[in-house]
Amino acid sequence: MVHNDKFMFPYEGAWSDGREKLLCLDTGSWRVNRPVLDKEKCNYCSLCALYCPPQCLKDMGDHYAPDLDYCKGCGICARECPRGAISMMPEGEFADDSAKR
Amino acid sequence: MTKQKKKPKIYDYFKETEDPYAGGVAWCPGCTLELTARFVPKVLGNDIILVGCPCCAAPVLYGQNLGTWHRLSYFSSLMTGVASSATGISRYYRKIGRDATVVCFTGDGCSADVGFQPLSGAAERNERIIYITYDNEGYMNTGYQRSSTTPMGASTSTTPAGTISHGKPTPAKNVPLLMAMQGAAYAATATLSHLDDFARKLTKARQKIKEGFVYIHVFSPCVMGWRIEADMSIQVCRMAVRTNYFPLWEAENGRFRLTHEVSSPKPVQEYLRLIRKFSHLKETEINEFQQMVDRKYAVIKRLCVTE
Amino acid sequence: MIAQKGKKMVITGNATAAYGAMLCRPDVATSYPITPMSEVAEQLSAFRANGLMETEMVEVEGENSAMNVVAGASMAGGRTFTATSSWGLSFMYDAVQHAAGFRAPIVMVIANREAPGILAVSGGQQDIISVRDAGWIQIIVEEGQEILDTIIMAYRLAEDYDIQLPVMVNYDGFYLSYMATAIEIPEQTDVDHFLATLKEQPKRQVLEPGVALGCGTHGIEKGFVELRYRQCVAMERAAAKLDEIDREFGELFGRSYGGQIEEYRIDDADIVVVASGGVAGTAKVAVDTKREQGIKVGLIKLRLFRPFPRQRLVEALNGKKAIGVIDRSVGFGWDCGPMAMELRALTPEIGIVPILSYIDGLANLDITIPHIERAIDEVQSAALGKSYQEVTWIPLEE
Repeated sequence: MVHNDKFMFPYEGAWSDGREKLLCLDTGSWRVNRPVLDKEKCNYCSLCALYCPPQCLKDMGDHYAPDLDYCKGCGICARECPRGAISMMPEGEFADDSAKR
Repeated sequence: MTKQKKKPKIYDYFKETEDPYAGGVAWCPGCTLELTARFVPKVLGNDIILVGCPCCAAPVLYGQNLGTWHRLSYFSSLMTGVASSATGISRYYRKIGRDATVVCFTGDGCSADVGFQPLSGAAERNERIIYITYDNEGYMNTGYQRSSTTPMGASTSTTPAGTISHGKPTPAKNVPLLMAMQGAAYAATATLSHLDDFARKLTKARQKIKEGFVYIHVFSPCVMGWRIEADMSIQVCRMAVRTNYFPLWEAENGRFRLTHEVSSPKPVQEYLRLIRKFSHLKETEINEFQQMVDRKYAVIKRLCVTE
Repeated sequence: MIAQKGKKMVITGNATAAYGAMLCRPDVATSYPITPMSEVAEQLSAFRANGLMETEMVEVEGENSAMNVVAGASMAGGRTFTATSSWGLSFMYDAVQHAAGFRAPIVMVIANREAPGILAVSGGQQDIISVRDAGWIQIIVEEGQEILDTIIMAYRLAEDYDIQLPVMVNYDGFYLSYMATAIEIPEQTDVDHFLATLKEQPKRQVLEPGVALGCGTHGIEKGFVELRYRQCVAMERAAAKLDEIDREFGELFGRSYGGQIEEYRIDDADIVVVASGGVAGTAKVAVDTKREQGIKVGLIKLRLFRPFPRQRLVEALNGKKAIGVIDRSVGFGWDCGPMAMELRALTPEIGIVPILSYIDGLANLDITIPHIERAIDEVQSAALGKSYQEVTWIPLEE
């Protein structure tokens, strides 16, 4: 007989519970190229943020900056930027600040 | 340079500011499904009940034991049972007088194929549910096999182009048109390049669900299955609209309207050349494809009221 | 409290099932018509059309959807009811398993009919045999009143906090489904009272809009094993729980059915016939006749098929010299009836005694009194140590 205190699920049935915390992948580590913004060219139109599939571009008040913890490096922001303000740079070029990713 | 302080109009459609999903989830880089999944609750709200099934969305929508990747209320149905499970949930809430928005969210494999019967049944019964299909034109989760929304000529893992095969031999099933023809309170097509249009349609869906069945068909290119570059998926959406391959329309209680009419459509070849699943097509086949696009567009065009 | 005397009506088994469902006030009910249970759907729709119940009725486009509708409604928190038969049950099979895994307390009636494979618009129990490992509690009833009473009890069982499993209430298609008998319809207040206990227990987990709960999470590794284990443990608990509920029902309504099994003239019996469904009634007559002839035979009516009433059967069968089992279905790959096969699995507890399998009543063929008398004679002969035939397909030997 298995004792109830060994159970992982608090109730009968297969329920997931995201009320406290969520599962999360280190998708930032998938990235091969990193979006880099030329602030001079940016007019804060927000298209990059709207089209970003993981929605990881944060509003900085006058531009958007990728959350590098989650940015998968797809390059959609760079492709869609009407002013060509974002360029995709190989991750290797940022080896120095890899601690910050 | 003076920077625009006011946010674009699309933000007016957003009900939610908090993304219910975890930052890092298992969707491929450049995936339009991911954008769709994160966009829908922005407009519909985070208090929806999402009903889904095994599909590309499942690895994120389903929990893993107690863990989960999002904060939405979720019911995991079978591929055969999405529209019917949603019916049960929505009917129960109706019975107890509770206001809740039940949203089905599946790929085309469910809505066009194995889950088509319950989808059609729910539409006919005019159930108060919103059904959103993200159409990646095949069974992408199981390895890019053809579905009934795979277009003619596409090379998939079960209709591979070869020495005697030219890809899928038959054209796609037009599910949104079928739903509109079944008398859905609201049926519409949408895609990710035209987010204003999509947001407006979702907003409309929120109102129309009070009258009955709502169906939205979202054209969602698959980076891996279609063999496109990760940064090209929005461009592919845009080109699909500009070539009339995927016209944007809506049908409100049977009244059709083009929501984004393309004044001088580009040849479909410009769309096809972006996608390697079509790379084997020869000129004659591309011409046939163009004729197919023209025929399908003509049908929609004739159905639409001139404003 | 003793229930008031209910109104008596002469109605079919199907109509009885519909009355049973109505009295339990389901929130959502659905079903797709199939012979021989279509009348259940029609009757429920008529109740709804005349304002006799407030249930949301969903006229689905197929049985698979019927099961998915009730699974969804059940996990949203509703009380649900559906009905099917044979092909319909096969068509909803994926959802049948799904609902059990969700621990959805659905009640479904099945007018038993031969399963697909060989076309037969006729009765048999092959349909429930084909879903015996789907994780549902399966109860088989004998006659009309028992259909109604068992449906009421089934909600008590399904929705019990310690159980939370779907329940199938089975009755013979064609025979019981269409046969009209005098049925006492209990008063609504009494049924409400009987089911009120369910409101006093902790609330089971249900969907909540805006709350981050996902119904039907992936069971990963040990998580999966735990979920399966708990499904099995709940199933085991259901056996004794049914006895309890049956006793309580008897105290209130003055009718009870023995819970897991009904024992008929078992105590001093040397040999036993095991049967389920309507044939149990015929078997009682045969037992009485054979008793008059001096054969000490008894009958066990198997009411609960899943979970298998192992404990109760062992107690009832201990010391008996031979057993005959009548199956209205076949067990592919075992060359005997499925229920006979399951009885054999009790051998470690009841000892090695002859277990004779009789396959009869397929495709609506009548299981007659002479059929059962013949079986009793053969079982008696086996009990006396004579050689016997393990499996008998009665219609082929007549």
